Amino acid sequence: MSAQSVDVLVIGGGATGAAAVYDLARRGLRAILVEQHDLATGTSGRYHGLLHSGGRYVVRDPETARECIDENTILRRIVPFSIEDTGGLFVATPADPADFPAKWVQACADAGIPVEAITPAQARAQEPALTSQITAVYRIPDGACDGFDMIHGFIEAARAFGGDVLIYHRVTGLIREGDAVVGAHLEDTRTGEKRTIYATCVLNAAGPWCGVVAGLAGLDVKIKFDRGAMIAMNTRWVNTVVNRLRPASDGDILVPVGTVCVLGTTSVITEQPDDYRIEAWEVSKILNDADAVVPGIRLGRALRAWAGVRPLYEPPEAGNGDAIGRDVKRTFSVIDHQQRDGVRGLVTVVGGKLTTCRLMAEKAVDVVCQQLSHTRPCTTAAEVLPGVKTNPHRLDHRLHHLEHGETPGELICECEMVTRPQLEKAIAAYGDQPVALDDLRRDLRLGMGPCQAGFCAYRAAGILQQAKKQSSADTTRALHDFVNERYRGVRPLLWGHQLRQLYLDEMIYRRTLGLDQLAAPEEPSHD
Amino acid sequence: MTDTGKTPSSGQYAFPRTQGTDVIVIGAGLAGLLAAAKAVRAGAKVRLIAQGWGQQIVTPGWISVCDRADDDVIAEVRGFAALHPDHPYALAGDDAVVRGLASFCRLAEEIGEPYEQRTKDGHNLRLITMLGAIQTPLAAPQGIAHGDLTGFSESLLLVGFNGWRDFYPEMAAGNLQQQGINARAIRVDLPAGARGWDLYPAELALLLDQVDARNMIIHQIKPHLSGVDKIGFPAVLGMDQHLEALSHLSEQLGRPCFEIPTLPPSLSGTRLSQKLRGWLLRRRARVQIGHPVLRGIMQERRCVGVEVGALGHNNIFHADHVILATGGLYNGGIQSDETGRLWEPVFNLPVMAPPGEGRSGWYEDRLLHEQGHPIHRLVGLRVDSCMRPLDASGAPMLENVYAVGHLLAGFNPLTDGCAEGIALATAYKAIATALGLKKI
Repeated sequence: MSAQSVDVLVIGGGATGAAAVYDLARRGLRAILVEQHDLATGTSGRYHGLLHSGGRYVVRDPETARECIDENTILRRIVPFSIEDTGGLFVATPADPADFPAKWVQACADAGIPVEAITPAQARAQEPALTSQITAVYRIPDGACDGFDMIHGFIEAARAFGGDVLIYHRVTGLIREGDAVVGAHLEDTRTGEKRTIYATCVLNAAGPWCGVVAGLAGLDVKIKFDRGAMIAMNTRWVNTVVNRLRPASDGDILVPVGTVCVLGTTSVITEQPDDYRIEAWEVSKILNDADAVVPGIRLGRALRAWAGVRPLYEPPEAGNGDAIGRDVKRTFSVIDHQQRDGVRGLVTVVGGKLTTCRLMAEKAVDVVCQQLSHTRPCTTAAEVLPGVKTNPHRLDHRLHHLEHGETPGELICECEMVTRPQLEKAIAAYGDQPVALDDLRRDLRLGMGPCQAGFCAYRAAGILQQAKKQSSADTTRALHDFVNERYRGVRPLLWGHQLRQLYLDEMIYRRTLGLDQLAAPEEPSHD
Repeated sequence: MTDTGKTPSSGQYAFPRTQGTDVIVIGAGLAGLLAAAKAVRAGAKVRLIAQGWGQQIVTPGWISVCDRADDDVIAEVRGFAALHPDHPYALAGDDAVVRGLASFCRLAEEIGEPYEQRTKDGHNLRLITMLGAIQTPLAAPQGIAHGDLTGFSESLLLVGFNGWRDFYPEMAAGNLQQQGINARAIRVDLPAGARGWDLYPAELALLLDQVDARNMIIHQIKPHLSGVDKIGFPAVLGMDQHLEALSHLSEQLGRPCFEIPTLPPSLSGTRLSQKLRGWLLRRRARVQIGHPVLRGIMQERRCVGVEVGALGHNNIFHADHVILATGGLYNGGIQSDETGRLWEPVFNLPVMAPPGEGRSGWYEDRLLHEQGHPIHRLVGLRVDSCMRPLDASGAPMLENVYAVGHLLAGFNPLTDGCAEGIALATAYKAIATALGLKKI
């Protein structure tokens, strides 16, 4: 059991926590982030990839819309490597309420979101797959964002300013001394080893788990869990983000992100912070709704489905306590527990959007600084991340590197173009800590393309074994874990082409490799 | 996709009178290829039509008849068939299992792609995988069969290549050691001329067709031979000169060398397909790969021809007999959609489906579930003992259409260890029935 002492302990390795530890470090505070799984395993890693312009919220929730457009502009500047400037379209069809576009255009103007009306012909020239049944269409500055890259960027930047990160450590208790929280007890989820971190202030950025964390200090933070499903199609059916121009509802976005096109989403209130189920009706609904905007996409090849849990929080003073799902505002809240509960040393930040993570971090850190009487102002909006090249992300970066790089090394994941040197570098970054293949997936997009790791899982396992000098038994276990993790996302989509793909993958694992005959993992992996 | 609603009539087509029997085989997997070859040998006029090569180009290449049999494989099959009268083995009969396999092995020998069984005792081989698991098929391409570990208690050397992404000998050796098999791993440099970042098994095999390239490898392995009794390589030992490459390495290294199947594509399956295609063409069979059969043309309960998709205009070919060897869900012989509909696209034959609504009963919650997924076992066509498809009431639907291989319901090709055995047995039974061959 070890103990250490910092100024601020951040709980939660999603986008908000990552932006917060960066902000804290940048303001000269000694900060450490702890995360129970890997970075971006929760809501942030289960995200659709849309860098919001705010257009989706502008009518019902103008405050969030304004936050989105501001942060959209800021993120393009400070984390350009994680953002592709796809632009966005809002498309109305005859099935949508005819009076909505005028209302929407006015609301965008009020919120300061730049909107350009174009003709259906212009829209179809830009995106030929769009329906011919367009009643109104507008350009808007949406973008595509790789949440994994952005979070890793914030973490590296935090480290550059002296911040620290501890993954696979679960908070098992908050330490209370009188009316103050002074630290946390942690457990390494892989080794069971315990440690204690004392902190002058704890920042609770645990997303859907915020309520659980606050509960450890005996405080009540009521979170609503809003589950949403998404589906990745095997190619970029569109190169521009396409939104349905209607009141926000299920199945109204198509986001080209990386090599795929993500369709989303649904909204189901659930009881669990980690309820990642996907029901058959959700798959049908998402495909059918997307098909109304991009005809034929329903019959395309769906690669993978996943669900994320939006942590929704309405402050009691909002007087909207019975709102559910899409009616709960998407703005965020910073809860100063000193003010609210008379407990010093704990601040909770909850709600919001991935697009507004930097702002959420800024506002939460402002409150933390207040409690610490620390006066350095936030500079994360003004400054580009240290050491970052200012080029925006382009889809062909990896291919360009392969074809023109000096020594690209073997191509291990052909779908996502992940090479051996990239894998070895990512493995080395974990130092002595154990590495799961799924960690490498989040780091590099390994196994996230059409074959869903049918080919690269074996190769990556071989490289992992060499790099970590670990036993074949451990490597085989890692392979089992990864295969099962990938299967979870394919299972809701098993028909047609993806069923055939899975047959090939199963054939490789069972017959070519005989993985089913070698020891299976003793317990199912987390998730 | 075809019009699956009704069966088209033949009234509008006038087929030219031809001499001899027209056999149309749809599908170029093991079942289709064996059926086509048997029909050619029996003197029929054969047309083989397929959208692509069958599953042999992605499987490990070996022949699984009854992988779980500890001793006499055919005796095990016979016992199993007696207890499961609806299983394809029971329908085809154990005679067809024996003759189908023998027939295939003769053919493979004739085209220069010999498959080997263990000895004459009819027991399964014990072969290793790239991961170091043990598989127990009955027969395998010679280079792979040489890796049989039955009764082997000496030392294995597994050879990988530096900078080659498709084989990790340390992983295999470690897992073999766990199972009490004495194995160690080395890596050698790729022969000069190997390309960098996306070197595929086929390219490496073509390189190893050359004596110089093989010598470069032999030279590097020689210092590591002390205490080694058998040497395993990834299955890339030559393409056109495969047998020469295999014997060259074994002679120079002074120990038996064998191959371990790689990730797809399978080189042994590719070689087999290419050579069988040549064999069929030389015997005046027609081979059309890359063409979809859109539908069968019916005259009451007989299929008198098939319509084949082609650029420009479709073609119609006359048939006396049709062997439907289009494969299962993987190969496209059975199609599926999001609503859970399952259909057979050429004749719209009734497809057995797992119980439950929509797709809910198709898959288990883990990919490598011990029992396998229900969809593999339960989806497919039902046939009679002549391999003729049955309707819902259990009566044969068509007089001269025979369904074989993965298209059939009642077995799981991924877990039952009998996929190739069923392909060969049912193809043999179908062609023997169609052409009235005596040996059945």
